[in-house]
Amino acid sequence: MEGFVTCGLIGISLGAQYALLALGFTLIFGILGVVNFAHGGFYVLGGYVAYAAVHYLGAPYVLAVIAAALASAVLGYVFELVLVERRVDDHHATLMLTLGLNLILGTGMLVIFGPESPQFTFPITGTLRSGGYYVPLANFVVLCTCLLAIGAVYLLMYRTDFGRALRALADDRQVAMAQGLRPRLLFPLAFALSTGLAGLTGALVTPILSLSPSIGDPVLATSFLIVILGGLGSIGGATAAAFIVGMVEAYSSVYLGGSKGALLLFVLVLVILVVRPSGLFGRDVRAA
Amino acid sequence: MIRDNRSVKSLAAIAVFCLASLPLSAAAACELKLGMIGVMSGPAAQWGLAIKGAAELVAAEANKNGGLQVGNEKCKTSVVAYDGKYTAEGAAAGANYMVGQGIKFIIGPVGSPEITGLKPIANRNNLLVMGNGYAKDAIGPQWPLVFHNGPGPSGWADPIVRVAKTKFNIKKVVVIAPNDQGGTDIASVDAAAYKKNGIEAIEEYYQRGTTNFAPIVTRILNARPNAVDTASSPPGDAGVIIKQLRQAGFDGAIGRLGGPGTSEIARVAGGYDVLKNFYWFEPVYIDDKVREISKAYRDLLKAEPPENNLFFQWVGAARMVMKAISKAGTITDTKKVAEALRSLPVDDPNLGKGQWIGKEFFGINQELSLPFGVGMIVNGKELPVQRIAAATGK
Repeated sequence: MEGFVTCGLIGISLGAQYALLALGFTLIFGILGVVNFAHGGFYVLGGYVAYAAVHYLGAPYVLAVIAAALASAVLGYVFELVLVERRVDDHHATLMLTLGLNLILGTGMLVIFGPESPQFTFPITGTLRSGGYYVPLANFVVLCTCLLAIGAVYLLMYRTDFGRALRALADDRQVAMAQGLRPRLLFPLAFALSTGLAGLTGALVTPILSLSPSIGDPVLATSFLIVILGGLGSIGGATAAAFIVGMVEAYSSVYLGGSKGALLLFVLVLVILVVRPSGLFGRDVRAA
Repeated sequence: MIRDNRSVKSLAAIAVFCLASLPLSAAAACELKLGMIGVMSGPAAQWGLAIKGAAELVAAEANKNGGLQVGNEKCKTSVVAYDGKYTAEGAAAGANYMVGQGIKFIIGPVGSPEITGLKPIANRNNLLVMGNGYAKDAIGPQWPLVFHNGPGPSGWADPIVRVAKTKFNIKKVVVIAPNDQGGTDIASVDAAAYKKNGIEAIEEYYQRGTTNFAPIVTRILNARPNAVDTASSPPGDAGVIIKQLRQAGFDGAIGRLGGPGTSEIARVAGGYDVLKNFYWFEPVYIDDKVREISKAYRDLLKAEPPENNLFFQWVGAARMVMKAISKAGTITDTKKVAEALRSLPVDDPNLGKGQWIGKEFFGINQELSLPFGVGMIVNGKELPVQRIAAATGK
C-alpha cells in the first residue's frame, strides 16, 4: 500500500513538471500553428541561466528562477518577432527555424559551460517522511510551484482579455483579426509566454535532476508525446495528458521495470491515438 | 596544323607542371592522421574528452621529436576528432568520415553502442581500432583489427566486488543500467561477479534518455538491497539515481562497476556527502609516475588535461598504437601494424607493466591489461585508491 501511494505521489510530481512543459509547447501550436522544436532548448537555457545567476552572480535561487523565466521569455519574444513572424504560416520554414534555434541553444550552452554537468543543487534539502511514505522537500516545492504556474496560465488564458485574445486567434485567426486583434503584437507575446514557461521549468527541475547541454532532447520528446496525446493545441488536453503520462510512467516503471514501463507508455499512447487520432482533447482540423 | 601546335603546347605545359611539382612531391612530409571517435557531448562526454585528450597528447609527444619514426621517415602526427554521441549510428558515421579522410587508425570509441556500430565499417575498410566497450562481443576473433584499451568487467569486476564486500558487508545488490547493449552486457557480468562472491544480485534496466528516476528508485528500494551498483550508467544518469536514492532514504553502499566519472557523479548527486558510501573501478592506479602524464599534457598542449582518469588509460593505449606503427614501419598497412601490436610487450613508462588478456572471455588476446585501482568514499570521505594488480582475465 505504501509503495502504491508513493507511486501516486511520484506520478503527480512527474505530471506537474510535464504539464508545465507541455502547456508552453501546446500554446505555441494552438495559437501560432507552429511546432516549436526549440522547446527543449529553452528548458536548457532556463536551467543554465538559473545556474549562472546562482553560481556566478550569487543571486538567491528564487531570483535566479525568475531571471531564467524572463530570459527565456525575452529570447522567445525576439525570436518570434524577428524570425518566426515573417514565415509564421510556412510550416517547413518554422520547423527549420525552431530546429536551428534548438541547435544554437544546445551548442551555445556547450561552448559557454562545457559538456559536463555542473553542480546545481536545490537550495532546500531533506525529505518529508511519514511511516513508509516519503516526499523529498525539493520535489514538493517544485510540485507546488508547478501547480501554481499551471493555475496562473489557466487564469491568464481564461480570465484575462489577453488570454481571450490569444484563444480567439487560436480559434479563427481571420475572424479575430476582423475584430481588431493584431497577431503581430500578440504572437510574440504568446511565444514569450510559452518559452518563459519552458525556461521556468528548466530552472525549477534541473536542480532536482541534472543539468547538461543535451538534456533538452528527452524533454522535447516528452513534451511532444504529451501534446500529441492531449491533442495538439489543447490546453486542457496537454494538462490531462501530462498527468496521465506521469502516472503511467510512475506505476509502470515501479511494477513492470524501466524497460517494460517505457514500452507500456508508448503502447498506451499508440492505442489512444488509434481510437482518437486527434488526441484526447484535440480537434480534427485546426481552425487558425 | 594549328590543332597540332595546341596539342604540343598543352603537352609541354603538363610536362612543365609535372616537373615543377616533382620536387614538391619528393619533399612532401609523411603525415600520420590519428582518428579519434568518442562521445563528446551529453552525460557521457567525459569519456570521449578523455580519448581526445590522450590522442592529442600522444600526437604532441611524437611531434616534439620531429614526428613518429616510421621506416626511414619522421611522420608528423595530427588528430581528427569526431563526436560519436554514444550511439552506434554516431560512431558508424564517424568511421565512415574517417575512411573518407583516408585515416587508418582509430583511437576510441568508448562504450558498447559506439563500438558495435563502428566495427563493421572498420572491418570492411581495414581500420585498426583501439577502442573500449564492455559488450560481451566488443572484441573477438572475427574482429582481428579491433583492440581493447583495457579490460572490461570480465577482468576487474571480481576483484572489486571482493574488496567492496569486505568493506561494506554487501549481502544483496541491485545492479542498474540502461537497457541497451552498453548497459546489459556490463550489468550482467557485474551481477555474475557479485553472485560468484556469494551476494544476491538483481538486475534492473531503464530506457536511455530517462531524466527522472524516481519511479525506478522506488522499484529498487522495493527489492530491499543493502547496495546498489550503477554499473555503466552514464555519469549524469548515475548522479541523478544516487541523488534520488538518498532522498528516498537509501542508506546502503553504492557502487559503480562500469566506466568511471566519480567527479561528475558527485557534482550531479550533490557532493561526496550524498555519495556517502561509494566504491568504483579506477581504470588506472594514480601515482607520481602517472601524474607526470598530466604535466606532459600541460607542457605540450598548454591546457588542463581531461579530468577523467580514463585519460591515462587512453594515453597508454594510444602510445601502444604509435609504437606498433613505428615497429611495423607503415602508416597504411593496418594488418602489419596489428601484428606488431600483438607482439609488443605491455610496458608503459608511466603506467607500468601489464599483459595482453582476453583469450578466456573473448577468444582473442587483444585486451590491454595494466594495474588498476578501487576507489572508495566512506562516510563522505574519499579514501586513497587501492592498487590492484593487472587483471589476468582468469
